Amino acid sequence: MSSNKAPRILVLGIGNVLMGDEGVGVHVVRLLEKQKLPPGVVCLDGGTGGFHLLDEIQRAGQIFIVDATVDGAPLGTLRRLRPSFSSDYPTTLCAHDIGLKDMLDSLYLLGTPPNVTLYAVSISLPQDMKMELSPELEEFVPGIAIEVLEEVESV
Amino acid sequence: MARIVVDPITRIEGHLRIEAVVENGKISEAYSSGTMIRGFEKILKGRDPRDAWAFTERACGVCTTVHALASVRTVEDALKISVPKNAELIRNLMFCAQYCQDHVVHFYHLHALDWVDVVSALSADPKETSRIARSISKWPKTSPGYFSDIQQRVKTFVESGQLGIFANGYWGHSAYKLPAEINLLAVAHYLEALEWQKEIVKIHAIFGGKNPHPNYLVGGVPCSINLEEVNAINSERLNHVLKLIKDAMAFVEQVYIPDLMAIAGYYKDWAAVGGGLENYLSYGDLPTQGYNQPDSFKFPRGAILNRNLNEVHDVNGKDSEEIKEYIAHSWYKYAGGDKTGLHPWDGETEFNHTGPKPPYDFLDIDGKYSWIKTPRWRGNPMEVGPLARLLVGYASGSDEVKDVIHEAIHALQVPVTALFSTLGRTAARGLETRLVARWMKGFYDDLLANIKNGDTRTFNDERWEPDTWPKTAEGVGLTEAPRGALAHWIRIKDKVIDNYQLVVPSTWNASPKDHNGKRSAYEESLVGTPVANEDAPIEILRTVHSFDPCIACAVHLYDPDGKNIHQITVR
Repeated sequence: MSSNKAPRILVLGIGNVLMGDEGVGVHVVRLLEKQKLPPGVVCLDGGTGGFHLLDEIQRAGQIFIVDATVDGAPLGTLRRLRPSFSSDYPTTLCAHDIGLKDMLDSLYLLGTPPNVTLYAVSISLPQDMKMELSPELEEFVPGIAIEVLEEVESV
Repeated sequence: MARIVVDPITRIEGHLRIEAVVENGKISEAYSSGTMIRGFEKILKGRDPRDAWAFTERACGVCTTVHALASVRTVEDALKISVPKNAELIRNLMFCAQYCQDHVVHFYHLHALDWVDVVSALSADPKETSRIARSISKWPKTSPGYFSDIQQRVKTFVESGQLGIFANGYWGHSAYKLPAEINLLAVAHYLEALEWQKEIVKIHAIFGGKNPHPNYLVGGVPCSINLEEVNAINSERLNHVLKLIKDAMAFVEQVYIPDLMAIAGYYKDWAAVGGGLENYLSYGDLPTQGYNQPDSFKFPRGAILNRNLNEVHDVNGKDSEEIKEYIAHSWYKYAGGDKTGLHPWDGETEFNHTGPKPPYDFLDIDGKYSWIKTPRWRGNPMEVGPLARLLVGYASGSDEVKDVIHEAIHALQVPVTALFSTLGRTAARGLETRLVARWMKGFYDDLLANIKNGDTRTFNDERWEPDTWPKTAEGVGLTEAPRGALAHWIRIKDKVIDNYQLVVPSTWNASPKDHNGKRSAYEESLVGTPVANEDAPIEILRTVHSFDPCIACAVHLYDPDGKNIHQITVR
């Protein structure tokens, strides 16, 4: 269990690591965890998202989400978004997108809208069931991690 | 005659498609299809069996603990490991916390909107909502100002044009029967339940180190008990757990159950709809004398056939004649042919997609039409889930089960046969949550007593090292996920996994017809269901959602069509 001190910044990796490239968000966050991070920054493997993450998200002043998207852009394309509502989120994989979006909408209804920056990494479908990223996407992971880290450091 | 398509039907994880044939305002035939594929069996082959729980736990982001529990049990069964008393109690506590969280989330966030009209809540009189709330419960948050604030917040959200979570409702449909004031009450509790559910799962973080995806361990639980030690399960953490349990009991008794009964009172006609199969299966769970003593389980193990509550049949996951999976209408092939049934120990996972290429209007229902296999118990289709658990408990003579059932049917003034229905299934989920919350307190008391007696063991390491294992071993891990009977089967050879098969609750309930044309639970329960408006088939959602469909684990993981089916399509 994390300490009682509320984290200021949450870096949340979303994705299913059993599903190849779909788990890219989690792979990026795992890499970030090994870096020296500014105080108050918490990295979390959020799995496929959903209501379980509500507490962590509410306790964070600012949230950076790294997630996979299937938007037709070339593999490894990184888009930085500032979504307001769930409908602003790009198409993620069907296996988990409803859970995360439901939760973010709920935060509006609870009167605590989150401050979210979303990094969406383009992947393609279909994905085979495997634990590893494709070698092509793997190459982009360090660059994506640096991009996120630089923004987190500048907060 | 029209065929209605609802796709996807789940509000959460997974893909489920229902095609229903409507004749004269009633469903005459139904087809349930899992449209995503699962490949778990392939990913586990050759891995260390002690790691399997961590993979299977990722099958689903909702019930993250249940696959881990089934997995460690199957390995312990194969290697003949029994876990210490504290480990059994802590696993039970995590199990109960999962049930409370999952059932409350299902009721308020996945199912209530089939019965509660959010838009109607905007026209409610908050004073009247307050009066109703106070008349059915002693829950404190009931002032008119509180309900008026909630109403305003929802109004702002809806007026922003961002229906979001409420986008898939058939608002204004004539099938909604609740007064506006009760709709507002339910919406307020929808939001309260969201805040509450994040607390109860802290029990997982305390005992499992983190959440989501808490840690499990073959041979016990991965936490140490020392009342004085900062990093162990100490007095402070145990007090925190006690507070969470008490809060859970209060929420279930004072919010969930009163709301359930108030809403059910307006939908008694649904006690005659959606009964479906007459066979029920429960593996049972919550051992009190060890996993190998099913007689000691709080949820008994057994099967009921033809709704005969005077007889409970024994269930044995190891008997190759009992549980078999068929593929006559599933996109797989077996070496022995399409009419063969295979016990999971001998299970095969060879894909054979013969479905139509997208975009398509309808599935090929005469051939294969689902990624879900069709399991049968002694050849019978079985319903699994809360209703099955309660009926097996009732028929096994559990007084606790009988008491909650009798209390509810008395309050609603319906006969006991009302349980065999869509409403009965939804009520059963709430009633068992009452039991589980109470049992959770009991397990907590037992844990504390055991620790005070000087027993702090949480792990049995006798068979941890692979060189203590036999050359080959096989095991089965049975559990009850919130959605129903869940089992993992393992074959270990030369210290690695040789075969691993999962038969999950939604495989039982959501599967296609078997080789004899017999329907499984969803399909059977839809036949006879009235559909008032074919363009807005809310009745289908009510019945299918009453099973709590979550087929991420039934048919992981991808949509083979590669299309984004993120809306309900009605044709």
